[in-house]
Amino acid sequence: MRNWFQVLKPISPRAKLVLGSMSFVLPIIIWCVISYVPFVWHPQVLITDPGSADYLQPGMRMNKRAFANAVNEAEDDHKDPPKGVASNPIYLPAPHEVALSLYTAFITPPATQDGPWLHQSLWHSIQVIFWGFVISSILGVPIGILCGTYAGFARLNEPFIEFFRYLPAPAFGALAVAILGIYDGPKITIIVIGTFFQQVLIIANTTRKLDVALVEAALTLGTRKLKLLSRVVIPGILPDLYRDQRILLGWAWTYLIVAELIGTSTGITWFITQQARYQHFATVYAAIMIIGIIGLGTDMMLALLGKRLFPWDRTLDKSA
Amino acid sequence: MSRKSAIGAIFGVFFLVMGARPILAAPLTIGYSDWPGWVAWQVAIDKGWFKDAGVDVNFQWFDYSASMDAFGAGKIDANLMTNGDTLATGAGGGKGIMIMLTDYSNGNDIIVGKPGLNSVKDLKGKKVGIEVGVVEHLLLVHALKEAGMSEKDVSLVNAKTNETPQVLSSSQVDAVGAWQPIAGQAMKGLPGSRPLYTSAKAPGLIYDVLAVSPASLSARKDDYIKIVKVWDRVVHYINDPKTQPDAVKIMSKRVGLTPEEFLPLLKGTHLLDVAAGKMVFKKGDGLDSLYGSTKNADDFNVANAVYKEAQKVDSYIDPSLTAAVK
Repeated sequence: MRNWFQVLKPISPRAKLVLGSMSFVLPIIIWCVISYVPFVWHPQVLITDPGSADYLQPGMRMNKRAFANAVNEAEDDHKDPPKGVASNPIYLPAPHEVALSLYTAFITPPATQDGPWLHQSLWHSIQVIFWGFVISSILGVPIGILCGTYAGFARLNEPFIEFFRYLPAPAFGALAVAILGIYDGPKITIIVIGTFFQQVLIIANTTRKLDVALVEAALTLGTRKLKLLSRVVIPGILPDLYRDQRILLGWAWTYLIVAELIGTSTGITWFITQQARYQHFATVYAAIMIIGIIGLGTDMMLALLGKRLFPWDRTLDKSA
Repeated sequence: MSRKSAIGAIFGVFFLVMGARPILAAPLTIGYSDWPGWVAWQVAIDKGWFKDAGVDVNFQWFDYSASMDAFGAGKIDANLMTNGDTLATGAGGGKGIMIMLTDYSNGNDIIVGKPGLNSVKDLKGKKVGIEVGVVEHLLLVHALKEAGMSEKDVSLVNAKTNETPQVLSSSQVDAVGAWQPIAGQAMKGLPGSRPLYTSAKAPGLIYDVLAVSPASLSARKDDYIKIVKVWDRVVHYINDPKTQPDAVKIMSKRVGLTPEEFLPLLKGTHLLDVAAGKMVFKKGDGLDSLYGSTKNADDFNVANAVYKEAQKVDSYIDPSLTAAVK
């Protein structure tokens, strides 16, 4: 226990496992306590029997104080008081409700004859993310490396990119539809716009952190410019570049929801917004969790792959 | 050729090519979204009635505002929207011709007052949470006018319609305006709150229409007449008590509800078959005419700076297709 708080020291594998699981178990415990222990929060009352109050219906929720008033009024008039149980707002479903929705969402057949199942919607979303990220990377990684290597190139590009990265990507939605149509084109574009500009700057910075001694040594040994890039700079930053890409992939995911609202309704976003419109919040949380699980799963896989690819990189050991 | 006109020419060609594409493509692409009168088309889609009628259509499901963006950009041939929004899209350059009506709101748009308020008159000096410039605002203005008041008698709090349930139960406002199912959620979230005014008291204030891009309409007029015919079949299938359960099953599935949850939403929508549509297409100044209703929406849009210049209402309406269906 004591060595958890030693600065920059690795912790034992056992402690790693325990702490890692705790980081999930703790929030879930908090969620359970808030959901299942009536006196913790439960600011509302879920009506089970309206009694004599004609304006109430079973299934309604009202604030505790308003409910107390309704009960008092009825009792003063010697009528049936309404009955109800303490409950949380409809926006915070309990864990078991979310788990049940998660299951039902996958086994519910599509809304229309040719409509997608949930797993097909998810696959569609993953493809949109994939292509958005690939296109962004094809442009962003080389430009970022060049910016990091050559100050002149950086000066030519970075001021504009710094400016553009503050522009909200969703604002380009209508323009993207006008140019690229209503299907996946504009959605992928939004993800590219959201990712690309950050990508160039982050990768340029990573490149700048390369040990100058390496470059100087290579120059002393007579390395030419192109070879300097391909043999010294790129191999030198590769592990860091890989980690940047992992972070940026997560970034791309955060743009998914706005991207998929553009053009035709597809993917996991269609599912989330439609369920939210009718206040099926258990299903909404289930869908959000699916995204989280896919995101974390991909990242863990990429981290493992990174260890294989760059066994010499020590920072990877520390973070994972 | 100056550089300016060269750029103009390039853009011109670009837009011609982009604009022409949907017309040459075989299926007519039509946008629809979550409103009972539009979800109704799902019946025809699932039953294959368009194929029976010999017309190739491609219905695409949108978020409502995304559907207007797509239509305004000329990416779809036709879109299902309200008459007021057709003007707003047209003022922005994406003109649409209203060739048929699907329905009018008959109670689905509601001004909800908190407990203690009983009529529109009680709103005097009160705060009303409403999305400024959209249909509920139009409904509120109409309701106040009917009660002998004006917008100046209340203070408006701009709120997204989707968030009105939370806004009402936070008791920072005294009333909100919302459409179903949001209005129902608002009333459920604040027991004792009740409808002060609904669109059932102002039938025809908001018409829902199929708006078609002028280019697509002139190229494929016969196909659109076939679509109007299919609509007539849809309305009769939904209104016939024998087939209604099947229709409601198809429609509720489309929006992810159970038939029991969906039925009340359908009841708040008055579907218009072709015969009823022909009546609404008659010229007139009242809300029982599409012309009068659209003029009213135009005045509202200008007053609320949705766009600056009044639109030529007649140029947005083409009654001939509905008239052509016997």
